[in-house]
Amino acid sequence: MQRTHVNCTVNGDQVDFLATDDTSLLNALRDELGLISVKEGCGTGDCGACTIVVDDKINCACLMFAPEAEGLTITTVEGMALGEQLHPLQQTFLEGAALQCGVCTPGFLVAAKALLDRNPDPTETEIRYALAGNLCRCTGYDKIIRATQEAAVQMQTSKQRGAST
Amino acid sequence: MTVATKPRPYKYVGTRPVRHDGLEKVTGKARFAADLNMTAQLHGAFVRSPHAHARIISIDTSKAEAMPGVKAVVTGADFPNLDIKHPEFDTAVNIMARDEALYNGHAVAAVAALSAKQAKAAAAAVEVHYEALPAVLTIEEALADDAPIANFKNRTLFTKDTEPSNLASINQFDRGDIAAGFAQADIIVEREFTTTAVHQGYIEPHACVADCGQDGKVTIWASSQGHFAVRSKTADSLGWSTDRIKVIPAEIGGGFGGKTTIYLEPVAALLSQKAARPVKLVMTREEVLRATGPAPATKIHAKLGATTDGTLTTLASTMYFDNGSTKGYSALTGAMSVASYKLPNLELHAIGTVTNTPRSAAYRAPSAPQAAFAVETLIDEIAQHLNLDPIELRLKNAVVEGDLTAMGVPHPKIGFVETLEAIKNSDHYNSPIPKGAGRGVATGFWFNIGEQSSATVNLNEDGTAAVITGSPDIGGSRASMALMAAEELGLAVDRITPIVADTESVGFTDITEGSRATFATGMAVVNACRELISELQQRAATIRGVDIEQVEWVDGTAQIEGQDPLSIAEITALAKKTGGPLTATASLNAAGAGPSFAVHVADVAVDEETGVAKILRYTAAQDAGTAIHPSYVEGQIQGGSVQGIGWALNEEYIYDSNGEMENASFLDYRMPVASDLPMIDPIIVEVPNPSHPYGVRGVGETGIVPPIPTLANAIADACGVRMTALPMSPPRLLAALNQRNGN
Amino acid sequence: MAVVHLQADHRRFTNGQNVITVEGNTVGALIDELEHRYPGLGHLLTDGASVAINGELIPNGIFERVEASTEVHFIAPIAGG
Ligand code: FES
Ligand code: FES
Repeated sequence: MQRTHVNCTVNGDQVDFLATDDTSLLNALRDELGLISVKEGCGTGDCGACTIVVDDKINCACLMFAPEAEGLTITTVEGMALGEQLHPLQQTFLEGAALQCGVCTPGFLVAAKALLDRNPDPTETEIRYALAGNLCRCTGYDKIIRATQEAAVQMQTSKQRGAST
Repeated sequence: MTVATKPRPYKYVGTRPVRHDGLEKVTGKARFAADLNMTAQLHGAFVRSPHAHARIISIDTSKAEAMPGVKAVVTGADFPNLDIKHPEFDTAVNIMARDEALYNGHAVAAVAALSAKQAKAAAAAVEVHYEALPAVLTIEEALADDAPIANFKNRTLFTKDTEPSNLASINQFDRGDIAAGFAQADIIVEREFTTTAVHQGYIEPHACVADCGQDGKVTIWASSQGHFAVRSKTADSLGWSTDRIKVIPAEIGGGFGGKTTIYLEPVAALLSQKAARPVKLVMTREEVLRATGPAPATKIHAKLGATTDGTLTTLASTMYFDNGSTKGYSALTGAMSVASYKLPNLELHAIGTVTNTPRSAAYRAPSAPQAAFAVETLIDEIAQHLNLDPIELRLKNAVVEGDLTAMGVPHPKIGFVETLEAIKNSDHYNSPIPKGAGRGVATGFWFNIGEQSSATVNLNEDGTAAVITGSPDIGGSRASMALMAAEELGLAVDRITPIVADTESVGFTDITEGSRATFATGMAVVNACRELISELQQRAATIRGVDIEQVEWVDGTAQIEGQDPLSIAEITALAKKTGGPLTATASLNAAGAGPSFAVHVADVAVDEETGVAKILRYTAAQDAGTAIHPSYVEGQIQGGSVQGIGWALNEEYIYDSNGEMENASFLDYRMPVASDLPMIDPIIVEVPNPSHPYGVRGVGETGIVPPIPTLANAIADACGVRMTALPMSPPRLLAALNQRNGN
Repeated sequence: MAVVHLQADHRRFTNGQNVITVEGNTVGALIDELEHRYPGLGHLLTDGASVAINGELIPNGIFERVEASTEVHFIAPIAGG
């Protein structure tokens, strides 16, 4: 089958790959670019394990075709830490035991970061609704919500500190 | 919050370090089975039965084999036929149908090709000629007088029956005299309960990669709760010797019992052998729902009697558990789990059925949640009728050490009373019920098990350590192993690396199931550490030229009177000169697993317009024995609670009249999401298990047992409707409310 | 010799008796003796039962030693999730 040459930005890098029209973006990211953090839990947009950021909006990679990524900017968990420094969410998930098996974790981190980027001080209910597209079967969500709240507090404080110095 | 019976004497056990495998998981680097790729790897796809029950007359694979990219095709004919009495007979048949397809979704052939797309296309080109047979889909249909046989190879367990039957097992437990017991009772409540099948719902679908060499030896990367079991079950179903199979555990994306059995590995191994290339098999979510799990559907009739002071006198119950397409023990474990009360008179009949639905698999405290739904609902009704506090009533009847389980064996030291009291004293239970809501409580029990485990502890040259076990980590057990080793050796947790090793790198270890890993594998780790400590003492004696008797091991150092203490690092630095590397291995078949009890309380508001039951507050207390890593104990309690909540309120298998699952996707098989739930407040109760060096009981399972009756009781309190069928979903609750209102 | 407790399921072999004193120094010997006395029961105990000795579930099964005062329960097999 004919393959399309796709150019896009992934985690800050210009990349390109070949994909047939019916290849999902999920498979392209995993198989062509080796981004294994993007997991397939359902393939039908119902579990959020494949959550990625596409041009500032969260999306299920399993619901997009690879050629649709042409010209877009994509972020996955692989692009979340700043060099040696984990993102505050990664840190609070670790310290707050917000993961058990960890297969849902990349999707939650991406969705939680997207939430905090647009709403730095969400209520518990806002967090619960923002993460309602992500399934976790291990944790009962409790520690995920708390880790997100904690990261929000930390990010606010460091921002204030940054502003006051 | 933790309620302990004694102050904690430990330095590391009971602390909350960041887990060792955490970083890889928050950075996306952790490799689950589907993330692994081998050079020249092929992709597989299954052909599955579209019939709930059919004879397979013939399979023509020639068209599929001629398709582009196809390298191998296997069918039931490629697998050996095990003796019907072989313990893995049913597993082998479930992996690949032979002459009989037992449910819609049963694997009948598999293909390996260059790409997943080609494999799928080729699977569709395999021509299977079926003769459809009458199917039975429910417990009632299985038991009907003129019921067709669901599985011609099924023989009832524990009997010498040689004829096929729709009964999987028939068991009975009794004590006392139920007729006299009911005569003595002032109040008797009696109801029938039904529950549908539900899935374990792990987010990672089953996946594996197998690479078979020309020497006939295969390496399998698997996502499982027990890679030694993957090896033995693969060996059994292929008729291969164990040394031909090496299983490397990948990270596992949830199991909850559903990954204690296998579905893919023998098929991948055979395809790989035929194609002489690695083969990767990954299930779709639809395949996971149609062909793996679920937990049994049930029908339970129960009758409970009590005297006016709230003493439970008698329980009589007949429990039907549907095992799906092959026999199993589900009814038995359900009946055995009803053991939390003194109940002098007891008669339990446990009957397992076989139907043309997916073969059921273990799901967290297998069968106990369904049984608890029945018994804990009736207890609530008695408390309500007698106007007694539901916790007080349970305290009055709670089993303590020496009281009998349903099987008649005395309970060892247990913490049921302490767990009930933890809820009784909790902030939640002592807060007013929110206006318009109802409150429910219920309890749960699980045995926990011991079984076989091995561990090796290696000390590195600089005094750091590696702890190697054979227990796949499904909920943070690596951290627990490291904590116990830290406590024993007196070494900081971050200087210890816990590893789950493959089947050729560590001694045999049973499956991570029955809440046994921290208990039994933990004991192996402790024993290996203790052996290592005596060796360290010996080395210290050599270094200092004294007798070993003069060396004491205190807080990670060898202490010799009148001399400076020697640290582990100082001893390992001289290992070469004192006898070589420091390593110790221990294996055991653990006895003395400690039963665990849980008590939950929930406040629920019922929307009478929509039938939605909204949980406003939820608190779950559980006896952990000792919490090695409290965060992961809380995580087990919270995760188990929410699985139980999903089971109670939304999850169900829906089949059409042909036995095809109608809701085989996460859209239609609705598991709880964050916005459905409040925080789940965990209370860890600690009544140490005397049979474990740190008092561990195992916490994985009990948390799923109380939620169903807790919510049913809360709903009854909120709106006066007793729900006896699961799930208590909006349409069903609405129907019950309408009935209450007389419309 | 030991005191053996049987389940309701086993009683159809033993004319309704559920507590029986049996000769033998190991669990295996008890099972052999029970099979001898009540043909069919032994096979049921070997294939479909776990053993508890003095209230504790024991893993070693047939080789476990017993004494006159030992209480042996044959119970249904327990697994888990
Ligand atoms: S895999 Fe994309 S939402 Fe589940
Ligand atoms: S941690 Fe396992 S699914 Fe979320």
